[in-house]
Amino acid sequence: MSCAAGEPCEEGGRRRRALAVLGLMGAIFIVLSLASFLGSRGQVVPASVSYAGFDAVQGKRVFQAYNCMGCHTIVGNGAYFAPDLTKLYGRVGPAWLEAFLPSAGSWPTSTAVALQLRDAATAGEAGTASIDTYLKKYPAAAERVERRGGHTTLMPNLPLSRNEVRELIAFLKYSSTMNTEGWPPTPRAAGLALAKAATLPAAQAATVAAATTTAPASAAQRGADLAQSTGCMACHSKGGERLVGPGWGGLYGSDVAFADGSSARADDAYLTQSIVDPDARVVKDYVPHVMPAYAGVLDTAQVADIVAYIRSLQGGQP
Amino acid sequence: MIRIEYQTQRLSLRFFLLMLVLFLFQTAFGLLLTGQHIDPTLLAGTLNFNVVRAEHTNLGILWVLSGFIGAILFVGPLLSKRELAAPGLIRLLFYALLAVVLWNVATQVLAEQGIAGWWLGQPLLQEGLEYLEAGRIVDVVILVGFAILCHVVWRSFPPISQWNEIHWGLGIGVLALTLVWIFGMFFVERIDLQEYFRWYVVHYWVEGVWEVIHISLVGFLLVLMFRADVKSVGFAVFWGISLVWLSGLLGNAHHYFWVGTPEFWQFWGSLFSALEPLPLIFCFWHLYLDAHQDGAPLANMPAFAFLLGSVVLEQVGAGILGFTMTFALTNVWSHGTWVTLSHAHLALFGTFGMLGIATAYYAIPLMRGVGQFDQRPGRLAFWLVFTGMLGLCFAFAIGGTVQVYVYRTLGLDWFGGEVAPAMLFAKLLVPVFGLVFTIGAGLLVYDLLTLGLRAPAPAVARPVAATGWGGRLSGWETGLWLLAMWVFGAVITLGLLSFNLRTVQDGSMLFPYLMAGIGYPGLLLTTLLFVARFLRSLAARDPVAAADQAVGVAASLAR
Repeated sequence: MSCAAGEPCEEGGRRRRALAVLGLMGAIFIVLSLASFLGSRGQVVPASVSYAGFDAVQGKRVFQAYNCMGCHTIVGNGAYFAPDLTKLYGRVGPAWLEAFLPSAGSWPTSTAVALQLRDAATAGEAGTASIDTYLKKYPAAAERVERRGGHTTLMPNLPLSRNEVRELIAFLKYSSTMNTEGWPPTPRAAGLALAKAATLPAAQAATVAAATTTAPASAAQRGADLAQSTGCMACHSKGGERLVGPGWGGLYGSDVAFADGSSARADDAYLTQSIVDPDARVVKDYVPHVMPAYAGVLDTAQVADIVAYIRSLQGGQP
Repeated sequence: MIRIEYQTQRLSLRFFLLMLVLFLFQTAFGLLLTGQHIDPTLLAGTLNFNVVRAEHTNLGILWVLSGFIGAILFVGPLLSKRELAAPGLIRLLFYALLAVVLWNVATQVLAEQGIAGWWLGQPLLQEGLEYLEAGRIVDVVILVGFAILCHVVWRSFPPISQWNEIHWGLGIGVLALTLVWIFGMFFVERIDLQEYFRWYVVHYWVEGVWEVIHISLVGFLLVLMFRADVKSVGFAVFWGISLVWLSGLLGNAHHYFWVGTPEFWQFWGSLFSALEPLPLIFCFWHLYLDAHQDGAPLANMPAFAFLLGSVVLEQVGAGILGFTMTFALTNVWSHGTWVTLSHAHLALFGTFGMLGIATAYYAIPLMRGVGQFDQRPGRLAFWLVFTGMLGLCFAFAIGGTVQVYVYRTLGLDWFGGEVAPAMLFAKLLVPVFGLVFTIGAGLLVYDLLTLGLRAPAPAVARPVAATGWGGRLSGWETGLWLLAMWVFGAVITLGLLSFNLRTVQDGSMLFPYLMAGIGYPGLLLTTLLFVARFLRSLAARDPVAAADQAVGVAASLAR
């Protein structure tokens, strides 16, 4: 089976020569590797990137903790089940991500993105506080808002905290500024303008159009439309189940326990306050700063319509 | 039939059985993934896709490792001509592996809550990196397990001066298995540096270590099955390993094209990883030569069928499909799409999974003392998993081509609205072939678990005509089959290259779809027919000489 003691093995000499060549290959590999991570190359490092005061390195920990790579890809590596995230920040901008990540089960509407721009830090990172300018600056955000806004996504809601959301955005900001040698390739074809690609979006546009043509009759009906277009339904279900926020079915008139130990009846006044200034009283088991304040986004009549809609859902599913 | 001479060989049995059970679970998770691909809301919020996928990839690695350990323990005493060192440690290794499996399956679910168990900057419970999802606790246990394996192999083998090429392959293989693992045990802040080291583990395991263990084990199984000359097999093992390392060391660069590392890797990666199929062609050719060095019939057809499957799918999945996407100009399109899935499934299950199953089919009857066993379930199971896997590969490749076109060429990035609906046909094909595969997997696991324990069925010898399709397979004919596979591989490569054409970039899918439509089915059908032809020609051999051959193997081992 083996070379007997003292008897030279047939491959002995070849083995030494092969090892020498292998050593040469190893040396080339090590030199190339060292050259890859020289500071003079100017590759961005996460320690130098922050977003609204949050750290990209911490964001990478969040990215790994939720195993984002298990569905998405980053620099093309991962699971091919969901889009590549490498350049996402540069394309959709921070406000869209701020609106999307806390309630990933639903595509943000224009109002939801505009709401995030009211935050000075977000607006500063985005370079504008105006939604119109924002959507011009980030066409991929405009495309998402126009075509997908208000619809459900295929991503599950994740229990991301407010800080985790911003850390993740810091990480995505880092990845999108990385030099990836031209990958992913920039498409030359205007995808959506091609006849081959137009079938599905057109069909969806028709459904959306059909839904908006009927004039709202009652306050509750107006509230329902408003809740849809504003993006409330991204976090609140019409039934009783909790998505990101509490379900609206059966909420009206129920007793609400707060984090500070007090409680209240969910009436018009309470619901109005919860929409306009949600952090005034935080409900038990909920995290503050997740729900944005809608003061100045919705006027008094609109808030009243939404409250009327919630009232109409008293018996659960209408 | 050879007898079990060394009692410590029997320690391999538990690793083979564990391998089979994990294989079934991995297949079940894979089937669930196909369901989630078709309906992404399936179990969303309960068992999210990323968790199921982590279980699928991790179990895939763990059962292959379990099979490797079983195979090494089984051949170890034969190579050493003495009992294995430290059987107590081997028993400990088994329970450690079992604990790692259960712990890891449980901790992956924590990703849904974003819990990684950070402690001193390290994720203790799970770390959310593809293939390396296991947390640091498991990493350390695995490292200890590898160290035990190293200790057992090195202590059992004869002194280094008496090593032949198979000793060298396995000895260096298990050592490198341990050392390379260490590079995956750190949290790295930078994406580029993290990917750089992650591929140390993934690439160097697969193409540096597993491949070396694969070459050595295939070589030794050929010695056992065909009385092949140890010296000549040793020659093949030497060249196989040399070529694997000379091409694979710098070939790793094909993972460094787009991860934030400099452009020069595109040159080195394209050049050296294009050479990576060379050792596989070498291994393929030697399998042919060794199987034909005498006309003796095969005593154990299922074992050889899986061994042949392993070497052929290594050629097709790792060699040819790997080659098609190894150039920077093709990889820029295939990277991050389903196209790579076809390569990964065929290469990983084909090369390493089938080797573990082949060894189990060889070793389990010997350890259970079954001389003649009913080989029909094993043969049927082989055909089911083999065609199932080729079909899966076809579905992934076609789905991937569509994905490249829609996602990269047209730039449509709405997965729910555009990309997934465009891939729907392929996504529906996956569970179809997945079911075929699952039935085969279930059959072979049942067959191997109960082999020798259930009442033996009477062996029905079906005579196969040794002419035409069953006639002797000549070297020329084998060469032509191999050439045909590579021609289709070239068509696939041109298809991927055609994404660079101006006309395709302007929105015409004609070239890439046409080339993929010819290349993939052509390659996979050629593979299927070649294996059918090969096995048929072996089945047609004269059964009378079977007994002589077994005696001969025992004699060659005693030499």
